Amino acid sequence: MSDQTVISIKNVSKTFKIYRDKPLTMKEKLLKLRSNEYSNFYALNNVSLDIKKGETVGLIGHNGCGKSTLLKLITKILYPDTGEIEVNGRISSLIELGAGFHPDFTGRENIYINASISGLSRKEIDGKLDEIIRFSELGDFIENPVRTYSSGMYMRLAFSVAINVNPEILLIDEILSVGDANFQKKCFDKIEGFKNSGATIVIVAHDLGTIEKISDKVVWLSEGSIVEQGEPDRVVNLYTQHMNKKFVEQRQQEYLEDVNNKPPVESVNETELSELPEQQEEIPQFSDESRWGSKEVIITEARILNSQGENTNVISAGQSMVIEIDYKVLHSQKEYIFGIGFYTADKMLVYGNNTQIGKLKLQSIKDTGTVKFKVNQCNLLTGSYKLNVAIVNGEHLALDFIKYYMDFTVVSNDKAVGVLSIDHSWDIG
Amino acid sequence: MLNYFKELFNFRQMLVSIVRRDLRSRYKGSFLGFLWTFINPLLQLLVYSIVFPYLLRIEQENYAMFLFVALLPWIFFTTSVQGATTSIVGGANLVKKVYFPRLILPISVVGTNLMNYIYGLVITFAALLLTGVHLTFNVLWLPVVLLIEFIFILGLSVILSALYVKFRDLEHIVGVVTFVWFYLTPIVFPITIFPERIASIISLNPMVPIINSFRNVLLNGVQPDWSALLYSLLIGIVLLIVGIFIFRKSEKTFAEDL
Repeated sequence: MSDQTVISIKNVSKTFKIYRDKPLTMKEKLLKLRSNEYSNFYALNNVSLDIKKGETVGLIGHNGCGKSTLLKLITKILYPDTGEIEVNGRISSLIELGAGFHPDFTGRENIYINASISGLSRKEIDGKLDEIIRFSELGDFIENPVRTYSSGMYMRLAFSVAINVNPEILLIDEILSVGDANFQKKCFDKIEGFKNSGATIVIVAHDLGTIEKISDKVVWLSEGSIVEQGEPDRVVNLYTQHMNKKFVEQRQQEYLEDVNNKPPVESVNETELSELPEQQEEIPQFSDESRWGSKEVIITEARILNSQGENTNVISAGQSMVIEIDYKVLHSQKEYIFGIGFYTADKMLVYGNNTQIGKLKLQSIKDTGTVKFKVNQCNLLTGSYKLNVAIVNGEHLALDFIKYYMDFTVVSNDKAVGVLSIDHSWDIG
Repeated sequence: MLNYFKELFNFRQMLVSIVRRDLRSRYKGSFLGFLWTFINPLLQLLVYSIVFPYLLRIEQENYAMFLFVALLPWIFFTTSVQGATTSIVGGANLVKKVYFPRLILPISVVGTNLMNYIYGLVITFAALLLTGVHLTFNVLWLPVVLLIEFIFILGLSVILSALYVKFRDLEHIVGVVTFVWFYLTPIVFPITIFPERIASIISLNPMVPIINSFRNVLLNGVQPDWSALLYSLLIGIVLLIVGIFIFRKSEKTFAEDL
């Protein structure tokens, strides 16, 4: 890898004018039938980036952060408002596949059209034709009109042309989802081959795994600016942590709005109504399959609190959480056992615990109160889970048992698979 | 500037591919296919050669050929200019997503129509021979005349294609203007039907020397009126330079304006 810079981006800014209603014709311009008002959208804000020969650079960021705009600026589809971009070398972009394909022409004819749009001469295309056809795995179909192709075949041909142009700089935007697993592997091998032969690659993808695997350097963009750049695993981790945090905050927001906008709880059935007139709004409604018990003691409400003590249905792994169960005793019992359980979305038990296991013998409790299950550190992995809450008596007969009381989501930075984070380290002997 | 043309040259295969695609796709799937390239001008020839001599009583020897050798270059002119005007907008899919020298789009429209004209020459020469027109060596000037017309058309096309991106009225304006322009150019009648004073004004129209030159070399067997033709060439060159200037100024925002 040499230190020669092939793409040099200096203080580049790009603004788009978002017209509310753009006047296009003379009549509209003269009569001001459509307002000419526009607002500015800052797609890129003073971005500087040097990409060296042979480097593979991954661009990450949420939608609208300016990744694609940056790629388009590098290819000269767009031009910057201020700043400079210098590119040395032939670019092939896998941004738009199959540009200029004509459905009535055969695959072979379309190869010529498509490759010529990348600036290849006829002689160069002649030289690559066999390889392109071989790579596309189209075989004899290459002589059929492109309109007869399946979408998979179409993409394979298009990808084949784009990747066999032998560029010095390859720009890839979100297109590695082409074809079946086999073909994808071939594409990755080809990209790997490019890397090894010293080509420079700039790749945009939402699949962070891909980015981390093939990049030498990752650049994280947010709102048109570079937030962080450097070693792939470090930047990708920072980015996932940030995105997880944002996700949790957003879900929390939605949850609170949801709770606040909820109409008053549905009416309860007659018998309960007569028994507890003042409590009726607080009893959650469940069907008979998911709630059972003698109802001598009832759960009036249960909730999950996050580390800030807010009502929630989303938890960041590693943080504390509290599960609260509000109860009301209607007929006192000899003994009470409170329990909770976590289930996966496909209803497999992950964890269950109760006050008896916790060596608490509850023989007399207040008439109404709250039981709290405090978790210092939530060790669940990313996923969606279900919460069970229950009160049973000393003989384990259900007083009030609510299966799948609510769903909650856990977001974890741990990339392990399964349901639980386990503190560990590897030692290779 | 030099790099600009060097890059254009590097993309010459794209121009060739697009022209071929457009020529071949135009009639793809139709029964008569490529024959339509010939049928269209033949039908126009038939209609005009009936309408004008019989209904309007224009006295002109071999009127059909008089009209035909002028009509084909005119069709080359109007279809090119009209097609090129919308070429950038029509190619929005490419412009927004792929980099290539944008000039390729209007040039390819003019190129496609140039090829159509050249195919039409097969009919022209056959018809000239059939109607007993005596061809002279001055026919060899035809490529020069055609080149001058090409430059003039290209200049106009480049300007219009760039302006149309922001100014969509242009398509209709071009339609109206070429319609009027047709009657300000001696195509269906000789320029001699105009009074002297009006004729001299009409001669300012750069298409007049071009159309006359086609008649001179193909029909009359004489050299073009070089001084008049030079005037058209100069206008063509000026238009082309201005056109490339305007085009370069506006092409950077094409992808955003579409």
